[in-house]
Amino acid sequence: MTPGVLPFVRLKLRLLANGLRGRPARIALFLLGVVLSGVFAIIGYAIFAIPGVAHRPGAAAILLPLGGAVIVLGWLFLPLVFFGVDESLDPARFALLPLRRRALLRGLFAAALTGLPALATLAATAGMVETAAQLGGPAAAVGELVGVVAGLLLCVAVSRAVTSAFATGLRSRRSRDLAAIVLAMFAAAIGPLQLVVLAGAQRADWGAVGTVAEVVGWTPVGAPYEIGLEIAAGRWWAALLKLLIALVAIGGLLRWWSATLENAMIGTVGSETRRTATDRHPVALLLLPRLPRTRFGALVSREVRYWWRETRRRASLITFTMVGLFMPVGLSVSDSSPGALVIFMGAMAALGLANQFGFDGSAYAANVTAGVPGRVEIGSRAAAHAIFTLPLLEVVSIVVGALYGDPGRIPSTFGLLIASYGVGLGLVLPVSVRAAYAFPASSNPFAMPSGGSQAKGLIAFGVLLGSIVVSLPLQIVALLLGPVWMWIGLPVGVAYGTAAYLIGWNMAADLLDKRAPELLAAVTPNR
Amino acid sequence: MSLRGLVKHFDTKLAVSQVNLDVPAGSFYGLLGPNGAGKTTTLSMAVGLLRPDAGQAFLLGYDAWADPAAAKARVGVLPDGVRLFDRLTGPELLAYHGLLRGMEQATVDQRARELLEVLELGVGNRTLVVDYSAGMKKKMGLACALLHAPRLLVLDEPFEAVDPVSAALIRDILQRYVAGGGTVVFSSHVMEVVERLCDHVAILSDGVLRLNGPLDRVRGDRSLEEVFVQVVGGRVATGSELAWL
Repeated sequence: MTPGVLPFVRLKLRLLANGLRGRPARIALFLLGVVLSGVFAIIGYAIFAIPGVAHRPGAAAILLPLGGAVIVLGWLFLPLVFFGVDESLDPARFALLPLRRRALLRGLFAAALTGLPALATLAATAGMVETAAQLGGPAAAVGELVGVVAGLLLCVAVSRAVTSAFATGLRSRRSRDLAAIVLAMFAAAIGPLQLVVLAGAQRADWGAVGTVAEVVGWTPVGAPYEIGLEIAAGRWWAALLKLLIALVAIGGLLRWWSATLENAMIGTVGSETRRTATDRHPVALLLLPRLPRTRFGALVSREVRYWWRETRRRASLITFTMVGLFMPVGLSVSDSSPGALVIFMGAMAALGLANQFGFDGSAYAANVTAGVPGRVEIGSRAAAHAIFTLPLLEVVSIVVGALYGDPGRIPSTFGLLIASYGVGLGLVLPVSVRAAYAFPASSNPFAMPSGGSQAKGLIAFGVLLGSIVVSLPLQIVALLLGPVWMWIGLPVGVAYGTAAYLIGWNMAADLLDKRAPELLAAVTPNR
Repeated sequence: MSLRGLVKHFDTKLAVSQVNLDVPAGSFYGLLGPNGAGKTTTLSMAVGLLRPDAGQAFLLGYDAWADPAAAKARVGVLPDGVRLFDRLTGPELLAYHGLLRGMEQATVDQRARELLEVLELGVGNRTLVVDYSAGMKKKMGLACALLHAPRLLVLDEPFEAVDPVSAALIRDILQRYVAGGGTVVFSSHVMEVVERLCDHVAILSDGVLRLNGPLDRVRGDRSLEEVFVQVVGGRVATGSELAWL
């Protein structure tokens, strides 16, 4: 007997409802999510409906495929970089049930479609139906409706398939490098598109943008959204062909997802290479070279090993590295100033610590029973993170300097990066103590607790905004001083960042000393 | 260890209600109770892992909540259902715990190697703890609790998932530890183990301490299991239900 998709959808809704029951904070977050989704839907609808209402077929031919492509790519990247996927229906939990893979896939797909993001996307893209109706009458509207629904299916399929594959890739240690390359390729793919659009928009070169839009319209990411327009223009064959392109893409993605799903259900592949025994002393094994043989040294060493050995942390490091390397490339071609980017990068680096205690889960009990003072605990964690982050930020500043053809700017850019990283840490550290949450016991490093995506997204948004505001004075000083800034940028940036970090460190440490048991309870997954 | 009026609510459910317990120094104390009786909750509150709603916990005379640093420094804890920092290897994990407790490097090295050897975890073993079997993880947790030579050990379900050979070894170690003047408090729902090891027992059910005191007084002339089932109010199958089995 194969169950339909309804039980899965009901299960997902039930889990959501149970997650909200009796938790005002969760309910508030959920409502905020509803409001934000609503705003997104209304703005999206308005933008996509404008070309139709204004009767501008030319504008529609550019806006629809490119807008659609942005939405699809958003579904691809936002889960990887910011939000994680809501894996309340973890495939591994269905492993013991007598379910055929097709039925399971259908059910999980339907469950993934159930949710605010899908609803908001559908509502936003419905604006395209309005445009098609205005330009080509009922037939075009129906065609576009089919296209918009196909587009939504594509969005969900793409996000599920890629996160699942990426997670499987990261799970076995051997293939982690491969996963990094795959993500880099995706990031590289979004780069050129963004460049051409930005460059074209700035030079008002609508001809070039039109060509890009036409090309994108024939790729799976843009094709579904152009079906109605093709019908309006009387090209039925093109409409059919584009529908076919979209359907084939969805089919292919589902097939890929189904293959990786099998892996996710079976669990970790035990391809652990046997390590040879060693006769070095335990302390020497734990401590990294040149660290003191103290509590602080032990904590930093453990953190450093964890950043590399734990999949969740490694995923966040790799993702940040890729974003850090490709964002400057994207922006430099469009000739925009790197200042905002630099602050954004620094704050984003600090975000890696937003749920630092959640990474540890119940293992954090060891530090609570040992009675580690808050100052040592927080300081060591920040130090370990900085060991990874500072070299990366240095590389980012070199990349920025090289791209803008101005190597003399490297030190001051680095200074600004450190300042914004410090400010980010100053904000993130107290948040990480106050707003920690437990990760589900899933081996998917992108899995989030139900409702956790919103929390994570909101924290990220708040910290980014806060960092930009707090770093603003420095940014203004940099602009005012001009060439002088090139000389004093590094020391001033370091001082500013260190001061911000110290404030946050103190606050977080005091909070931690008061709330360690509560924090432990917050990061312990429900059994 | 002594507990004074410990209370803990989870949401609206009363998990532990007014637990008063005195563990004499040098005793081997067994905390018995069916699943969900509040054993883990009680022990977590006693060692400073879970903040009680009311009541106090004293460890070797230090208040675990008013003066946590002093209390925690003298106690070894093996929590149940709690992960270790399992992305470290066994030796690394012991070194981590040792340094976390502020011990000298030479002492950490020497004791860690000895513990790994005695518990048969492998001195040069470079497998990550996450890849250990359940029993090995338990032994690893015990090694972490013993490393700083505390005078009080609080162990939550130390014998769960441990094979008979290792269980015998752990029993041996604990008995010698008590003979040397240490105090052990541990929870279990296995009567035989408690009856064999302990000189004192306490029975907890539904968050209430039903019976406590020296083993012989609690037991009287019956078996501990009889006393336990009677106190907890368990039922015995009559034979009419589950007839289809």
